[in-house]
Amino acid sequence: MRWLSALTDNMSPLRLCVPGEKLCSVEDCSTGTGVYQRHGYIYSSLAGYVLRKNEGEELPVISVVRETEAQLLPDVGAIVTCKVTGINSRFAKVHILYVGSTPLKDRFRGTIRKEDVRESEKDKVDIYKSFRPGDIVLAKVISLGDVQSTYLLTTAENELGVVVAHSEAGAQMIPISWREMQCPQTNAKEFRKVARVQPEYLEA
Amino acid sequence: MATVQVSEAEKVYILHGIRDDLRVDGRSCEDYRHMEVETDVVSNTDGSAKVTLGHTAVLVGVKAEIGKPKPMIPNEGYLEFFVDCSANATPEFEGRGGEELGTELSNTLYKVFNNQHSLDLRSLCISPGEHCWVLYVDVLLLQCDGNLYDAISVAIKAALFNTKIPRVHISSDDGGGKEIELSDDPYDRMRLDVENVPCIVTLCKIGHRQVVDATLQEKACSVASLIISVTHKGIITCTRKVGRGSLDPESICEMTEAGKRVGKALHSPLMKLLQQEESLGKKRQKVGFLG
Amino acid sequence: MPTDTKRVRGPDVSQSPFLFWSRPAEVLPSHEPRADGRQRDQVDVRPVFVRCGLVSQAKGSAYIEAGNTKVLCCVYGPRETERKDETDMKSGRLTTDMRFAPFSCPERGSWIQGSQDKDFSLMLQESLQPAVCLHRYPRSQIEVNVMVLENSGSILAHAVTCASMALADAGIEMYDLVLGCSLRQDGGSYVVDPTYPEENSWRSGSREKRGGLTVAFLPSLNQVSGLQSDGEMAEETLTAGIRTCIEGCYKLYPVIQQALIKAVRRAAPPAAES
Repeated sequence: MRWLSALTDNMSPLRLCVPGEKLCSVEDCSTGTGVYQRHGYIYSSLAGYVLRKNEGEELPVISVVRETEAQLLPDVGAIVTCKVTGINSRFAKVHILYVGSTPLKDRFRGTIRKEDVRESEKDKVDIYKSFRPGDIVLAKVISLGDVQSTYLLTTAENELGVVVAHSEAGAQMIPISWREMQCPQTNAKEFRKVARVQPEYLEA
Repeated sequence: MATVQVSEAEKVYILHGIRDDLRVDGRSCEDYRHMEVETDVVSNTDGSAKVTLGHTAVLVGVKAEIGKPKPMIPNEGYLEFFVDCSANATPEFEGRGGEELGTELSNTLYKVFNNQHSLDLRSLCISPGEHCWVLYVDVLLLQCDGNLYDAISVAIKAALFNTKIPRVHISSDDGGGKEIELSDDPYDRMRLDVENVPCIVTLCKIGHRQVVDATLQEKACSVASLIISVTHKGIITCTRKVGRGSLDPESICEMTEAGKRVGKALHSPLMKLLQQEESLGKKRQKVGFLG
Repeated sequence: MPTDTKRVRGPDVSQSPFLFWSRPAEVLPSHEPRADGRQRDQVDVRPVFVRCGLVSQAKGSAYIEAGNTKVLCCVYGPRETERKDETDMKSGRLTTDMRFAPFSCPERGSWIQGSQDKDFSLMLQESLQPAVCLHRYPRSQIEVNVMVLENSGSILAHAVTCASMALADAGIEMYDLVLGCSLRQDGGSYVVDPTYPEENSWRSGSREKRGGLTVAFLPSLNQVSGLQSDGEMAEETLTAGIRTCIEGCYKLYPVIQQALIKAVRRAAPPAAES
């Protein structure tokens, strides 16, 4: 519980609030999470603990926190972890499991289109050589989609792509290049759009 | 409900106009659009009326049937409302699309008539606890151009005015049982007293003012509206807030006041019109639908 | 199975005989105190019992009890929206479903949602929607389910209060809490937070003007998010009634605040930090 220790650091008497409670004027604080501005004042939008944090800036950041982290939703630009559920020649269907490092409580569906798989040689992309159902993929949200479609995701960055994949023999494969993975049991190579996993994504 | 897309610039234009009490079609804030009422338009009903308000067109048919009174209120008849949002009015209503709006409208109509003075329900009773008249009020939306509530309520009032129920005589037979006998004289018919039937006024909050009879464009600019049903005496029989926004208490007071004023003024011209139309008798020139 | 011809078969539809009892409470003159000892013409709401977070499966839940009125509410989501015909994907959707248990009213209801329940659901949605920050939940829907366990009057008002508590308990961002209050006008006098017999007594009574009113109110923003009335009321009585209901909401406010704060504290006690 990281934030609780943060609470104790600048231990003013712990204040609890409910939605709609006036916290302070906009001149005193800048807005963090769980709050909103109206007519020059900052109000709470959650029931939780009021947290004032000085981060070396001019104004302290005021936010309202709860015991569980606020429900994050996939938004444009967010890095998400997803699982491939189905593929065809035009796109791969995925389920979004994590946004950043926060697990989602409910299932959200997404689509990686053929042209969003990699940056170069977009016309030569073959979905069947990029993903397989069951793969765990890091991707970035590019659009919330329109009425018919689901979230649109992309893996067109070196750091994005397949992070965990299993071979036909069922063993977890080891990446050997940006487009190939190898099975440790049979030594068979399979094609994937492999991600160069960055340390900051590892905890996800 | 049927909606239109309105751009930001259009919204500002409408908003500024309303601030100066001048609307896009030249009306002031408490004016209705041109309204046409015609009664007795469908021959198979016991009473019918058609109302057009701007491009909104509503047809109401009333059918009387003999039914059993509700057990808790044995000495009164009752009304049944049904609003059909057919795909004719807008393609959005196709399939089950109009169902939600239809239930919303009919539920509001039940509330509007949920009091003792709107209609004398006791006159609809034939023999207490056994038989009564049930009036089925069926509303059909022909065209949809905003302000459905007001058009429907005016059409219902006109249709009820037009309703003629055959008189019945109860005679007991030898075994002590009762027999219902319908009068065969086509002119021996019962009329309903519709003086107290309320009319609905919908007020849309746009900017800091409220407008009556909003068009679809104006409705798109407003976040909340208030429905008020008013009798000719100014008694309010139903209010309801609709829309996704909220209203502050002060403006609700203003809106009810405006609604009462507008609603009260609506009744006497309507009644005059209905009586005038009836006095014409068979000489009346029929306009017909969408005419 | 052969039918038993000697047996006298009952009618197809039947009603409980208790419904036809003339209850003395129904004809209470308007100057006498109310059956449960509360005062007329005063903002005398029933004491409420509220608790959050009772249903473990739901994202947030709340239970409210006022007199014999018992309402349970669960909130699920935000989850992926089911309906695809919504043109505006930028903001979320709030869906409400209000149901009465078949045994909740004196007359047995059916499990199937009737048009009355749908009407309640719609009014609940219209009352809650102005308070929820839906723009923070793009492409998703928040589901509010209300189950009425026992209906002893002012059901919509308490359902609104209960639902807004459940939303707050679920951590859904809201501009304000929503509180509900009902009122019954009886000629010249009124009763606040009416019970079921008080709500349904008007049929047998005199020919005076009677009406009911329910207000949903955002206490901190001073906005009315839901308004619903039926029966007959003069304009002055209506506006006075709205003010009385707002006063009733303010009476409820500290209780709801305390219950929510208690729920937050229980979920993460400040003492556990060391």
